[in-house]
Amino acid sequence: METSIKSDAFDKFVQASSCILNPEIEAWKEQGGKVAGFFCSTVPEEIFTAAGIMPFRMRGTGSTGTELSDSCFSAINCSFPRHTMNQALKGEYDFLDGLICINSCDHVRRIYDNWIRHLKTPFVEVMSLPRKIEQPQIDWYRDEINVLKGQIEEHFKVEITDKNLRDAIKLHNEIRSLQKQLYELRKVDNPPITGTETLAVMVAGTAMPRPQYKALLEELLEDLSGHEGTGKYRARIMIVGGELDDPEYIKIIEEQGGLVVTDSTCFGTRLMWRPVDEDNLDPVQALASYYIYDRPSCPRMYGDQERRIDYTREMAKEFNVDGIIGERLLFCDQWLVEHYMTNLDLKDDGIPFMALDREYILSGKGQLRTRVQAFLEKLEAAEN
Amino acid sequence: MAKMDIEEIKAKSLSRYKEERDYFKLLLSAAKVMPGEENALQAKLLEILLDSKETVVDCVENDKPFIGGYFCNAPELFTAMDLPWFMVMETPFLAATAPYLINDIEGAEEMGLGTDLCTAIRLPMYYIENGLMPMPTAVLGLLYPCDGAPMLHQVLQHNEAWKNVPIYSCDPPYKSDERAVEYFADELRRMSKFLEEHTGKTLDMDKLVTVCDESNKTYSKWQDYNELRRNVPSPHGWEIGGAQAFAISQCFVAGDPRCTAWFEQLYKCGEARVKAGQGANTAEGWTEKIRLLWFDIMPYGWVFEFMPWLETEFGAVIVMDMFGNFPYTLIDTSSEETIFHDLAKRNLLDAPMIRQARSTAENFSEDIRRMVTDYRIDCVIWPGHMGHKDGSATIGIMRETCRELGVPFMHIGLDLFDKRYTSVDEVKEKVTDFFKGMGLA
Ligand code: SF4
Ligand code: SF4
Repeated sequence: METSIKSDAFDKFVQASSCILNPEIEAWKEQGGKVAGFFCSTVPEEIFTAAGIMPFRMRGTGSTGTELSDSCFSAINCSFPRHTMNQALKGEYDFLDGLICINSCDHVRRIYDNWIRHLKTPFVEVMSLPRKIEQPQIDWYRDEINVLKGQIEEHFKVEITDKNLRDAIKLHNEIRSLQKQLYELRKVDNPPITGTETLAVMVAGTAMPRPQYKALLEELLEDLSGHEGTGKYRARIMIVGGELDDPEYIKIIEEQGGLVVTDSTCFGTRLMWRPVDEDNLDPVQALASYYIYDRPSCPRMYGDQERRIDYTREMAKEFNVDGIIGERLLFCDQWLVEHYMTNLDLKDDGIPFMALDREYILSGKGQLRTRVQAFLEKLEAAEN
Repeated sequence: MAKMDIEEIKAKSLSRYKEERDYFKLLLSAAKVMPGEENALQAKLLEILLDSKETVVDCVENDKPFIGGYFCNAPELFTAMDLPWFMVMETPFLAATAPYLINDIEGAEEMGLGTDLCTAIRLPMYYIENGLMPMPTAVLGLLYPCDGAPMLHQVLQHNEAWKNVPIYSCDPPYKSDERAVEYFADELRRMSKFLEEHTGKTLDMDKLVTVCDESNKTYSKWQDYNELRRNVPSPHGWEIGGAQAFAISQCFVAGDPRCTAWFEQLYKCGEARVKAGQGANTAEGWTEKIRLLWFDIMPYGWVFEFMPWLETEFGAVIVMDMFGNFPYTLIDTSSEETIFHDLAKRNLLDAPMIRQARSTAENFSEDIRRMVTDYRIDCVIWPGHMGHKDGSATIGIMRETCRELGVPFMHIGLDLFDKRYTSVDEVKEKVTDFFKGMGLA
């Protein structure tokens, strides 16, 4: 990644985000550490941290094809699970000691079914994520987390005490707070870090032992103090969407002169804008409440569209955004319909919006560039 | 809002619905003049369907309470509460061959909904956004079995005109154990309270017991009927006994004696054919040669162009389909507790489509195993409807299951409602190649 940031910490983040098995994980495994993969940002990573296991957010990074997973999926499935499963079938995920799947969408939930039939990961479980965001659903998810906690304890022969859990929540909250600080830096006219660079930092946060990530993030924030970015761009852009773990996608926008200053995505602000409640006497209840209700939701959660659009509006205002790009992976029903509603709402607010479909592996870059270019022109015309 | 406006809105909201009603009237008059017991059953079903349409029209025009809902929301509860209802997503399933449908699909496309979202979702979205759906007193939404369903209901909540219509949606757990059933039973209880609160109707437990007893009779008869379809040749194919049995028992007259009577008649028809050694071939010139499991919904949008062809060209009989056969839980009516528990079980674990697609892929493979074995199936076709993304991510598992069972398996890739996605000719070509390649024809 071309960058003007001079920071060893940042280099490590770039490396971690651009591959699956990074040196930090290798070192962790060499010391006897365990790693558990998980899909979707609604899986409570804190449980693994409390068990002394490193949580790893699943990706298909580095994939060049779906030749092995094509027998599991079909052409109308989202390319994210297809590439990720392909990487797994190629052996790229052999380092995992466990995997937690979840019914986040029709495509990703089937990874569980295919994984248990084709791969030998020793511990694979599936969580049942509710659709609604009300109290009975929070309680259901609390029980789900407790079930998972018991399964981890039994399989990995560890005890997850309330104290372990509180410590884990605290650590993850500290990371959230540091990531938020990083985002705050982007509110200025000449942010010290671009959207492309920020995404690399965020992705790395799901792929490293967390204490180490936290230390590196502190280092990066220090390195960035006093660093001035470019003030030359055509428009300030916000990205709204789902599974976006590839900084190259943002780069396409930024190369055209649109500076991505904030987002509402699965590897972006929705991961960290709000903290888990540390005062709740029952840490599992706190986690359930956080993952079902407190954190900004994605369209997977039903009945929450109003809060979601409010969140988008607030973010756009706070970060002085000129236009919003709705990112979506082809065949995703959830984001297709969400963007449809977002478009209507933002029209009422006078905020320009463009839905931009893509494949997980960036093909058709030329077409993406053309669309971005046209959108930026529209924003500039509106400005003048 | 001025009186006139309200009347205009009402009239517009009923316009498609009335067109649909009139289309069914036409079908009914055709069915009535056709000879044979099976056609009499079709006619009876159409009468019941029309009756439900007229009721909804009456409710809208005369401000009577009615609801928009779904079969898997325990319709026995609506019957017990004397609440008329219609299915929010009903047009693509019931009126898929109606003349206006293609234009409506195009209308949905023009709204910017693309073509990779299930047509059965795009259409009701189009109706809601364009004021073409009767606006009920309350809505019971659907959050399963696919991602499209909850998104449709989010659009419904988002729509300016529908914003004030109260909505409750039962939350389906992904698991299928006792904890999941209990949780879903609580969701159904909350749903009943919601209905009482918003429709002014009450749930009388004695009435619910009567309705559930009746519905048990229906399901028992349905099971008996399905036993008949195990016979070689099968007494019926695609035309009767599959999707119709589902529709009448769950979408129109759940827990109603008219429903049981229909199944009794269906059973009699089937039994007579079995005794006479007759197969599904009411038309001339073909006999059952291939026993087919069509493992999905019927291709409603082009069913008449395809299904008769399967029979006359290859003697391929749809002995069973996804809506045809389920191990329906009979309701233990001994207490309120048992009723809600068993309704939850039935609607979460048994109801077609929900049953297969809601949870893990075992549900697909176990159903295939069961049906292939019980019905002496020669081959399995997974049509691969473009909306069934979870099913599309299960094709490897289905193929493997069929391999283990020693039956040929085929995945097509089509739209059950819109024949422009994959043309009927293309589907026919693929099926022909498959039958020939597998030595079935
Ligand atoms: S982009 Fe949509 S379809 Fe793809 S993994 Fe995310 S939610 Fe699922
Ligand atoms: S995808 Fe299937 S389950 Fe979902 S709405 Fe379409 S037809 Fe129904």
